[in-house]
Amino acid sequence: MSVIAPNFKLSEFVKSILDNIFWILLILTLIGLPAIQFILFYIEMPVINGELLTPFLALTWLADPSRSIPILKAFMATDLFRIAAFPGFGFAALIAAGTIFVERKMLAKLQLRVGPFYCGKVEGILQLMGDGLKLISKEIIIPAKADKPIFWAAPVLFVATAAAFVALIPVAPGWVVADLDVGLLAVFAVIGFFPIITILSAWSANSKFPFIGGIRALYQMVSFEIPLILSLLGVVILTGTLNLSEITASQSSFPWIIFLPIGAIVFFITMLAELERIPFDLPEAESEIVAGWLTEFSGMMYGLVQLGTYLKLYSFAALFVVLFLGGWNGPMIWPPFPEEIITEGIELGPVTAQFPGLPLFSQEMLNGTVWFVLKTVGVIFFILLPRGVFPRIRVDMLLDLGWKKLIGLAFVNIFIALGLLYAGILGPGGIL
Amino acid sequence: MADAAFLALSVITIGSAIAALELRSLVYGSIALMGTLGGIAGFFILLDSPFVAMFQLAVYVGSIAVLILFTVMLVKRELIFKKVEDKRRKFVGIALMLVFMVALGAVILDSGIKQITTDEPAVDFREIGDDFLTYYWPALILMGLILSGAVTGALVLARRVDEENGQRVN
Repeated sequence: MSVIAPNFKLSEFVKSILDNIFWILLILTLIGLPAIQFILFYIEMPVINGELLTPFLALTWLADPSRSIPILKAFMATDLFRIAAFPGFGFAALIAAGTIFVERKMLAKLQLRVGPFYCGKVEGILQLMGDGLKLISKEIIIPAKADKPIFWAAPVLFVATAAAFVALIPVAPGWVVADLDVGLLAVFAVIGFFPIITILSAWSANSKFPFIGGIRALYQMVSFEIPLILSLLGVVILTGTLNLSEITASQSSFPWIIFLPIGAIVFFITMLAELERIPFDLPEAESEIVAGWLTEFSGMMYGLVQLGTYLKLYSFAALFVVLFLGGWNGPMIWPPFPEEIITEGIELGPVTAQFPGLPLFSQEMLNGTVWFVLKTVGVIFFILLPRGVFPRIRVDMLLDLGWKKLIGLAFVNIFIALGLLYAGILGPGGIL
Repeated sequence: MADAAFLALSVITIGSAIAALELRSLVYGSIALMGTLGGIAGFFILLDSPFVAMFQLAVYVGSIAVLILFTVMLVKRELIFKKVEDKRRKFVGIALMLVFMVALGAVILDSGIKQITTDEPAVDFREIGDDFLTYYWPALILMGLILSGAVTGALVLARRVDEENGQRVN
């Protein structure tokens, strides 16, 4: 039986750990803390408990709960937090990571396989982390005759475009990165960038399979943008606004899928095509053209494209939820924050800890987030499901579906919306 | 802030327009063209009309630039280009551009652009829609007829090619 480290000694191990801790502490004290102070002098600091937070007071939050929670709240109100963490990139990346794992495991169960199993002991729960480490540590190979600037830029641009899409999605009341008056048009504009990046990366690889895949991706995405845009116009007609937050707020009593089921179905199908998912995964058809336009990507470049793909998947699912399923609206299921913690604090035996500034989030926001995540996860499940069930369809069937059936159905949907509007049932001034 | 953004956008737009004309690589030229069109979208945002800016992005960058890119990738450059370096043509071109710019600038400056107040709120796109459906309805109907005629014509043309080649039509 082989041993991982034959010369292992516990004392050496402890010594190395202590060594590392010593050096980390030393570097942090000598370089890290001064650097943080320097940066803090250039940042506009919030007013906490009636006094302006200075860089000298900045680190006292570590020891003072009366200051730490307000500082946390002030940080959560900043744009940086919104873009990087909650309604923006971090939240979406977390859901995207969960989606990748669930997809692999669920697909395996559908096809009577085991799926990820060994990594992390419990049902392969750490498989994703292992894959990520593998992708980061792998060498990035660039084809010899590739067009290097475009080839390097393509994965980064892909993730950036997907992140821009994520930024437009309202998650809870008031929790959206970019609350635009023309939000839906911004979505259309952002979606238009994906085919460009795809075809440019495919062309720059200077290889046959990526180019074929890229051209397939281009025509598939561009031709399915038309039914996508048309299928969403029904909702715009009925709400009279393009702002995604207002569209969500207009569904407080019923979601639009009740009145516009055809639009929802058309949007769902075009969504599958835009995401290049089975049964529309012609651009990545692995049995014909290796991996389509992803063939020449390796290492973390492939990882970035994959991250962008799943961010895009999350954004499309979230857009479906926002437009047709009512977004954050739902019955109040989140329990209210216990009053006695605010008034009396937490008692632990003889010690009573006061936490001024609680609750961190309002009840509406948490409840809205729960409903939004539940609905989005449901839609993602339905996006993943066809992969275990359907085969890939032919190119001519794809184009036939997109240009003849879906566009026709989208117009039927628009006329239903117009009928509801002019009959005075829905829309501005309607009876419902 | 707005001035810095305006300068940056101007540099991007004009620079990428020149690059689009001058670059030997057609694909890079079309990417530069995308930069120009995107810069114009930025100008629309600076001019407080995000509605037009988003359409500029969706239509020009998202569709027309893709069309140009796609066409460029299908073309063998040697077949349509011969490298002609003619100094007289260049100078005539520059002179023509200057005349055109002066004329256009005179028209724009004469149009009362100096009297525009800059602190007005953004024009609501609902007003544009209202105007289109009330005062400008003949223009709207004309545009609709032209566009539907173009689409029908394109469909007819595509159909005929399909049948002539004897490809499978499902």
